[in-house]
Amino acid sequence: MTSCARQSLLLSVMLAMASPALAQSRAEISGGVTWTGGFDAGGTDATLSRGAAGATPLTLFSTSSRVRPAVGASGRVAFFVTPQLAVEGSLEYSRPSLETAFSNDFEQATGTQATIGIASYLFGGSALYHFGGARLVPFVSAGGGWLRQLDQDRVNVVDGPELHAGGGVKYRLSSSFGLRVEAGVSSREKTVSFEDKRRTVPVVSGGVTYRF
Amino acid sequence: MKRRIAAVIAALILSAPAAEAYLKLGTRIGDNFVPLHWAAFPIRYFVTNRDAAGVTAPQLQQAVAGALTTWSAVPNVSISSQFVGFTGASPVTGDGMTVIGFQNRPDLDRTLGATSFTIDSVTGEVIESDIFLNSVFPWSVTPGGEAGRQDVESIALHELGHLLGLGHSAIGETELFGGGRRVLGAETVMFPIAFPAGTLNRALRADDIAGLSDIYGNDQFRSSTGSITGRVTKNGAGVLGAHVVAFNPETGKLVGGFSLTADGTFTIAGLDPGLHVLRAEPLDDGDVGSFLNPAQPVDVDFKAALFDRLVAVPRGGTAAAVEVKVTPK
Repeated sequence: MTSCARQSLLLSVMLAMASPALAQSRAEISGGVTWTGGFDAGGTDATLSRGAAGATPLTLFSTSSRVRPAVGASGRVAFFVTPQLAVEGSLEYSRPSLETAFSNDFEQATGTQATIGIASYLFGGSALYHFGGARLVPFVSAGGGWLRQLDQDRVNVVDGPELHAGGGVKYRLSSSFGLRVEAGVSSREKTVSFEDKRRTVPVVSGGVTYRF
Repeated sequence: MKRRIAAVIAALILSAPAAEAYLKLGTRIGDNFVPLHWAAFPIRYFVTNRDAAGVTAPQLQQAVAGALTTWSAVPNVSISSQFVGFTGASPVTGDGMTVIGFQNRPDLDRTLGATSFTIDSVTGEVIESDIFLNSVFPWSVTPGGEAGRQDVESIALHELGHLLGLGHSAIGETELFGGGRRVLGAETVMFPIAFPAGTLNRALRADDIAGLSDIYGNDQFRSSTGSITGRVTKNGAGVLGAHVVAFNPETGKLVGGFSLTADGTFTIAGLDPGLHVLRAEPLDDGDVGSFLNPAQPVDVDFKAALFDRLVAVPRGGTAAAVEVKVTPK
């Protein structure tokens, strides 16, 4: 038996173990809250040339910037391809803030930090694989999306692809309603920041589900 | 309309050692500020056929040509110049020629160079401009600089900035030294006090580029950059003469402006789109007269302050107006 055939057989066995309840469900919608972790936003100090070649620049003031963690809202629609395997579309909205802290000002300027709010939209697609069919159903997920962020004045827009992976559990309250909790990581190619690089942040979410 | 001619003589000097923040030169007609500018290119200039110790007139001409090339290389700006020839004329106003040359001015013992103009005071158009470098000081054209001597091209770059219509920039810090001021750091060639002799300052900074582009920039410049406008206030009242710097933490660029009206209004143009930090400070790193009309009630009695919001500069537009509040010293 080839390796591919063995994997197909294993998948068939797992599908056959699916519970009747899962097998009967074709779609699921869910909504809840999402917490997204913060990250170092990069940036440089404000410096002045001293003229002489190789001389250390004079620091007018130093900056340290960070995007703060944020709580937002999320909504998902999932379609079950098999009792265990579902494909899901999602939308997450949150309002993190970008904070720049100041230090080492050459003239001891007043003011310690500057901030700006960010509107963050994440349009995603995921594949979910569910294990077992009891009331408590663990699952793993992975997928990709498109992140769109705007500053609070809606002046500058940052767009870029996103990849995510994680896992969680669904707890069935009834044949239709349930709870969902999951955690994972989200890797974002572009974000509102002062440094153009990919950033990976933790994501935790929870909410209610409805199957039909 | 008959042209009204005004001469502005030796108003712009570069002090010997003793940070908009560009500022456009201009003339005031009634309530209107008319920016000083050249309307026709190339700028045709002569070089005085007079040597200084260690630097010949042809060497001066080469250094001036190098500095003009630096200014004309600013993107999205179309300026050009043409060396006409050497002349016996001195760099003084009123002869209808734009002349650059050495002059022996022992009476100006803190002045490395100065730029003067003859302008059409209605249109702001430059008719003639002259630059002298003070041959009282030791000069050098050595590519890497020469200890104890001022670099001709560096100082010419500064004076040619004036010739093109720029005033002094305040993006710099100084300390009192020997009865005058000594520059500690500057991020512009248009700072009014030169670096110590022996150092080079031949590269334009973001502030210089923004300033020149604001005068001569084309549509591409207008559509690809943005501006910040707002007020500097103290106890609710406008602050005249505050120096406001926009800093981009992503690029490290510093570009500044001044509050030029009694209500404290300022504008900083030529900024890259993106988020900026704003910092307001008093004009206390040089004589107020180096930047603004000293007859104006310029307020220097306030602490430097960093604005508590990051300002989003749009591409081709102006950010929402801000109010930077400062407190008395």
